[in-house]
Amino acid sequence: MPSLEQKKSLSLPVLDGQGRLPARTLWRSPEEHAASQAAPSAGDISIASPEFPPGAEPPPEFTSSRRSFVQLLGAGVALGAAGCFTKPGEKMAPYTKRPLDLTPGNALHYATCQTRAGIATGLLVTAWEGRPTKIEGNPDHPSSLGAAGVFEQASLQSLYDPQRAREVRHRGAGSALRSFQLELSAHGQRLRKDGGARLRFLLEPSASPLIASVRHELLSAFPKARARAYASWSREASYEGARLAFGAPLEVRYDLAQAAVIVALDADFLSNEPGSLALSRQFARRREPTAEMNRLYAAEPQLTVTGSTADHRVRVRAAEIARLALAILAQVNPAAGAAAPTLPPEQAKWASAAAKDLSRNKGRSAVIAGERQGPEVHAIALAINSALGNLGKAVLTHAPLVHEVRAGPSEVRGLVEEINRGEVDTLVITAWNPLYAAPRDLGLAEALAKVPNVIYTSLFEDETSARATWFVPAAHELEAWGDGRAHDGTLTFRQPLLAPLYGGVSEVELLSALLGETERTPYQRLRELHKSKAGADFETTFTKWISDGLLPGTAAAHEVHALKPESLRPALDAAARVPAEGLELVFAPDYKAYDGRFANNAWLQELPDPLSKLTWDNAALVSPATAKRLALESGDLVDLELRGRKLRAAALVQPGQADECITLPLGYGRTATTEGVARGVGFDAGALRSAAAPYFDRGLQLNKAAGPAHRFAITHSHFTMEGRSLALDVNLMELREHKPNEELEEQRRDHPLIYEKIPYAGNKWAMAIDLSKCTGCSACVVACQAENNIPVVGKEQVEKSREMAWLRIDRYFEGPLEDPKVITQPVACVHCEAAPCEYVCPVNATVHSDEGINEMVYNRCVGTRYCSNNCPYKVRRFNFLRYNDDYTDVEKMRFNPDVTVRARGVMEKCNYCVQRVERVRIDSRVAGQPMKDGDVVTACQQACPAEAITFGSLHDPNSRVSLLQKEERSYRLLNELNTKPRTWHMARVRNPNPELG
Amino acid sequence: MSALFKPWSNTVFRVALAGSATFLVGGLAFGMVYMRSPLFTGQHEPVTQPVQFDHRHHVGDEGIDCRYCHSSVEKSPSAGIPPTSLCLNCHSQIWNKSPQLAPVRQAFFADKPIEWRRVHQLPGFVYFNHSIHVAKGVGCETCHGRIDRMAAVAKENTLSMGWCLECHRDPGPRLRPRDQITAMGYAPPATREGRDALADKLLHDNDVHTRTSCSTCHR
Repeated sequence: MPSLEQKKSLSLPVLDGQGRLPARTLWRSPEEHAASQAAPSAGDISIASPEFPPGAEPPPEFTSSRRSFVQLLGAGVALGAAGCFTKPGEKMAPYTKRPLDLTPGNALHYATCQTRAGIATGLLVTAWEGRPTKIEGNPDHPSSLGAAGVFEQASLQSLYDPQRAREVRHRGAGSALRSFQLELSAHGQRLRKDGGARLRFLLEPSASPLIASVRHELLSAFPKARARAYASWSREASYEGARLAFGAPLEVRYDLAQAAVIVALDADFLSNEPGSLALSRQFARRREPTAEMNRLYAAEPQLTVTGSTADHRVRVRAAEIARLALAILAQVNPAAGAAAPTLPPEQAKWASAAAKDLSRNKGRSAVIAGERQGPEVHAIALAINSALGNLGKAVLTHAPLVHEVRAGPSEVRGLVEEINRGEVDTLVITAWNPLYAAPRDLGLAEALAKVPNVIYTSLFEDETSARATWFVPAAHELEAWGDGRAHDGTLTFRQPLLAPLYGGVSEVELLSALLGETERTPYQRLRELHKSKAGADFETTFTKWISDGLLPGTAAAHEVHALKPESLRPALDAAARVPAEGLELVFAPDYKAYDGRFANNAWLQELPDPLSKLTWDNAALVSPATAKRLALESGDLVDLELRGRKLRAAALVQPGQADECITLPLGYGRTATTEGVARGVGFDAGALRSAAAPYFDRGLQLNKAAGPAHRFAITHSHFTMEGRSLALDVNLMELREHKPNEELEEQRRDHPLIYEKIPYAGNKWAMAIDLSKCTGCSACVVACQAENNIPVVGKEQVEKSREMAWLRIDRYFEGPLEDPKVITQPVACVHCEAAPCEYVCPVNATVHSDEGINEMVYNRCVGTRYCSNNCPYKVRRFNFLRYNDDYTDVEKMRFNPDVTVRARGVMEKCNYCVQRVERVRIDSRVAGQPMKDGDVVTACQQACPAEAITFGSLHDPNSRVSLLQKEERSYRLLNELNTKPRTWHMARVRNPNPELG
Repeated sequence: MSALFKPWSNTVFRVALAGSATFLVGGLAFGMVYMRSPLFTGQHEPVTQPVQFDHRHHVGDEGIDCRYCHSSVEKSPSAGIPPTSLCLNCHSQIWNKSPQLAPVRQAFFADKPIEWRRVHQLPGFVYFNHSIHVAKGVGCETCHGRIDRMAAVAKENTLSMGWCLECHRDPGPRLRPRDQITAMGYAPPATREGRDALADKLLHDNDVHTRTSCSTCHR
């Protein structure tokens, strides 16, 4: 038998069904790319990747003697036997008075909403006897359309987080909520004397009418007080851009259903910006080759979810986007007076092709500027849209939804100046953690020390709470009444799912305490506020609004505004300026921590980043060329210095990153002692941010630091399928012409099966995953985690490839290392009809159901892991340790009661949400109705904003999944193994501009 | 030096070998028998409750339908333990001073639930659903026995997987007409032909498809 070392050097080219080497070379990391270059016979496993992740190969450290082994064995047998007995005398506590509508054993769904960047997304929350266990999108809500993003879904984990703040603190010492409220009311009375001249507010940006009414009352009671807003990722550039273009700050939103050509200028509109769920849906609906397909051009400094979906992506440093935008404007509308700047050839070619394409699609295109970019880029984007006649069609403008158009560093600067002039006596902060989130050079930390009364509320005791005179634990959004506005302005309601678990207080309650109104609840305020909108029967109408979660027909209409050339002119001049030379540092909201407010969320920490596949970390992203110039490798520690501000971070080589440009995502390097999950994870990008350039800056000094390399837990090399044709793409033209595609045909071909044919009863469950629609946003991964009680294992276990997520999103690169094309491919168990795992299980713990679901029977599993070894798709997950044992009673409330919580030593994997299948089956059979196509919706399918996942029965020839699997771009993963997967993938369709080839 | 092993050593060894074999096999057999015995399964063992609720009286004498208290049996996996307020629907009028009912009144007014002891307990990985069984014609009595004769409720059946599968493999004989679901002491047709005919009719009329796939109950 060859030793491990010998095995490593074996070189086995992987052949396809015909005994040929695969035509395409997909790669997932720079190391793999290097390997594929070195060995043209791709798939050489000795080079492509090690068979096992680091840490998994050496035998476990077992230092005990034979004697202690026998003792342990004996104890194990005794314990095992003890486990066979059922625990006697379980108690049952029924309701004393059962709430109306509630049936024990059945879940209820409540409409509510969550707010980020001031914009509310409507949600539907599943609750079992009062315990929320799953957050889903509200199908009726315009910002959600039934989908939910990673942040919305994962906030459930934050709700039950035992590290949440529980105590009101006065100068660090515990206090009672009631005494705080009385104190605050009394303080409010004192402040009224001078009209609140020394009272200031720093609020979270909000579009909520309820908050607006409280603010209005506050500013009437304290006419001299002043309210400001701050968000670390503010949208003020967009409003300011509209002011430059139209003379008034306007909300700019998009209707991509109307857009055949989309140009994204550093805009990650598919993932992080308000309304991204709705935009993803509109975008994806036009990614079907059967209808008229849209074309996406993206220019961006780092690879984003949007950029990876684009048909033509160009790497442009953030400071150069403005000139690129100008070039498009000059070509689209020469009359605009923009002088076409000289661009590097690659950018010029891209800009010219995009401009021509836009001009061909007047009135049916959209140019989207990103929030990172300055006002001039937003203004130019609006000028282009205006010239193309897109306004009122794919691009809509109307009055801003948020109360505070300005919410950037300038607001904090104004506050700090007032404090330093000694004008502030009381400061109420509801903005999230400004000491961490605001640029440090503003000196907010020093200024706060000079304010006698700082009142702060937050979910966690964080960096800011330590400096507050009064700290009040905040209520989670699922614990408080409220309202908000959708990205299109629709009035949205928020109802609480449960009373505050840890005694939190909502923003409205805090602010009303200052007014001395501790008795008037937010619920009463909400009713009074909206009373005038209802007709005669207020109770019925209001109840309907709350249960719907929104008031339909309240969306903001497009307002026509004329372009103002005189104010646009300076913007064009500003954009034409050649940016300073030097290494560029770009900040980005993190896909998982956002600006740091989700950093304590273990689900999100363990979720692989959509592009870098990094977990439990952030990193200074460096392009391969820049890394080569600076002699950097992934994991190297680097000293970053920007205008005197310093940070030590770890570098990560990221294909698709613009050269001479470092991206550092925000939200990590947290230091708050109570946020145990977030503390010490990653690097604090905020340390390098300045108020003058909060989004990107040039002149970065980068020096390689001595010391051991940083260990990243990156999942992209886990569960490798050894370089075979896995993620396929086709060109639209070739597909339309039915040009034979050997690769696809190979993966579609039926191979004879020697096993007996099984007549599947009732339904023949199957899934189709459309790679053309998938953006890689990872909403499905979090949905699966919540639905199926999947544990979090921590960084060390992830490094050993022991992450438990049943559904993973493989991200493949194709093409040059510097600027590759991307395909994202969600892979969960594909439910093979001839499943290799089933043949090797010695205890029949994984078997086929009568409807073709490859079942995992936890109570039979003895943990041999043969099934996992024999699975070619590498979708089985093993509970190596007791991942599920150490929960507090409150955390246990999070679990879905329909799914077993697995113990150590048990294998698990995707089961097509069989608990949902059985629920629907039983409900429809009790009602005497047949199950219809679309009745069963899996958790991943439900969350997907792009509708990339379809589930249904193949027995119904007209079910959506049957029709999709018949399409010529549908294929079976690893078809050559003849495992007959029930999940089919559909090749990504690219719609390239023939001009760019 | 004398021999290390005396001639009787062989006998000792043989006896020990046979003994340990018997011990192993016997132990296994004992375990298997024990696991199936009421000693282990708790079958037929009345469970004393914090309130002496007598099903004999409520079901037998008064003839209250099972679904009056276990109201979610037709629409939920759980048949439902009645809320305390339901007891007081009647007992606020009759026997409203009875000392036996003091804990019920206390629980209601203090809004603190009565902690009943569980009689039918399935392991956490088993997902049993009452509504589908009732809808397909499985009577309460079929699994729970003559509740109307139990002073304190005892488990009538083992609730073991083997017992579940007996019916899941051949449900016909255990079905009864829908109007007899909650009846106690239901008598199936006297003749074998009659029973078979009824089974066939119910299997057809109630559209019964029992399933034995693992995920039917385990998920």
